[in-house]
Amino acid sequence: MTYLIRIFFAATLAVSGLSHAYLYVHGYQHIPMIGSAFVTQAGTSLALAVLILAGGPGWLRWAAAVMSGGALVAFALSRTVGLFGFSERGWQPSPHAVISVAAELLTVGLWLAWVMLNRQPLRRRNKNVTLRRRLANPGANEKSSVR
Amino acid sequence: MTDSPHSMSRRQVIRHGAWFGAAVGLAVAGGEVISHAAGTAQAKQIPSRPTLRFAQVSDSHIGFTGKANPDVVGSFSQAIGRINNLGHAPDFVIHTGDLTHLATPAQFDQVKQMMGALHTPHVFTVPGEHDSIDDAGQKYLSAFGRGTRGDGWYSFDIAGVHVIALVNTLNLKKLGHLGVEQLDFLAADVAPLPSDTPVIVFSHIPLFAMYPDWGWATDDATQALSYLRRFSSVTCLNGHVHQVFAKTEGNVTFYSGTTTAYPLPHPGDGPAPKPLTLPAGKLHDALGIREVSYVRGHQALALKENTLQ
Repeated sequence: MTYLIRIFFAATLAVSGLSHAYLYVHGYQHIPMIGSAFVTQAGTSLALAVLILAGGPGWLRWAAAVMSGGALVAFALSRTVGLFGFSERGWQPSPHAVISVAAELLTVGLWLAWVMLNRQPLRRRNKNVTLRRRLANPGANEKSSVR
Repeated sequence: MTDSPHSMSRRQVIRHGAWFGAAVGLAVAGGEVISHAAGTAQAKQIPSRPTLRFAQVSDSHIGFTGKANPDVVGSFSQAIGRINNLGHAPDFVIHTGDLTHLATPAQFDQVKQMMGALHTPHVFTVPGEHDSIDDAGQKYLSAFGRGTRGDGWYSFDIAGVHVIALVNTLNLKKLGHLGVEQLDFLAADVAPLPSDTPVIVFSHIPLFAMYPDWGWATDDATQALSYLRRFSSVTCLNGHVHQVFAKTEGNVTFYSGTTTAYPLPHPGDGPAPKPLTLPAGKLHDALGIREVSYVRGHQALALKENTLQ
């Protein structure tokens, strides 16, 4: 299951990264600030995709969620009040806007699923650590539990 | 160090550090590859020089006297110097309106003389609302209207690009207005053009709804844009708002240019668009010119904003 989530994470990040890279190469590089933001998003997404697929630590998934969430916020701003003086309408440029937003929503969704899946084992793991410590040093644990 | 279940051993710290380093390294390498691909893609299509290069300058407001910029003549001279030092002579320079602040003959004379110092074969202009304060643009037309049609609109072709200059400041109520006569001109002007002709449109007031509450829109622009939708590349450049702003709507891209005089607030910041007085030393960051280049075969124009700093 975790392996599958890793693959999906990598796939959604790669799609979002490649979509931004395509737009950067095909014109967005000329838009002040937005061009830099696009190439940063693309490079970071692709790096996170590779490292998550390679079995990197959990904080990489958090970083992926933060970046995808940030990209979604930036998308929303560019369709409303503007972002660094840049604004676009609806789902333009088509189909890249739809593809990126879908990929980023999926990344955030996968992160949520991964967090939910890991909540139970984490609690169990903490319980196991406490139990091990109690067994190793019963007196000290009693004291700390009274406190 | 390993007492708490959340604390990390030295080995774990090193491991996480390595992952972090790999993340940063790969992100930088990825960014480099993408930038290089963009450069290569452009280099493949760019011959020795772009097909068309021009500069946009806007809202010089010659005659303005206020705290926001006590020396608009000096900053406009600086803008002209910046254009003359681009490293190439632009094919033309466009001034997108508000050449003067109060449309007096002396101000028109001064701005015309100043623009004579531009190292370019052609200087084009469109009027702003400050250029037609009390006479519906008559003094503007006397100074800059030669070769134009109607109330100062015109079009021309250069390097395979069709350029249209529209006047949306002469019949102002709250928003910019083009009027039936000009819309008819536009429809007839673009009718014979093939759809793959790149089109550039200049106007003073934006042709998109940047902030209608402050008059930063043109009420009949939708009609004008309907004639342009069939073209694969349409670029609309405007002044009036004294700040850089970009927006795309399908195949039409709108770019608002900054000013050489004084900045205005961002849309909705405050009750009205009044001149902003910036802290000392910051004014020239907000003023500037725009360099535009077009390469045959490209859909988008490349824009470069240059501040007067």
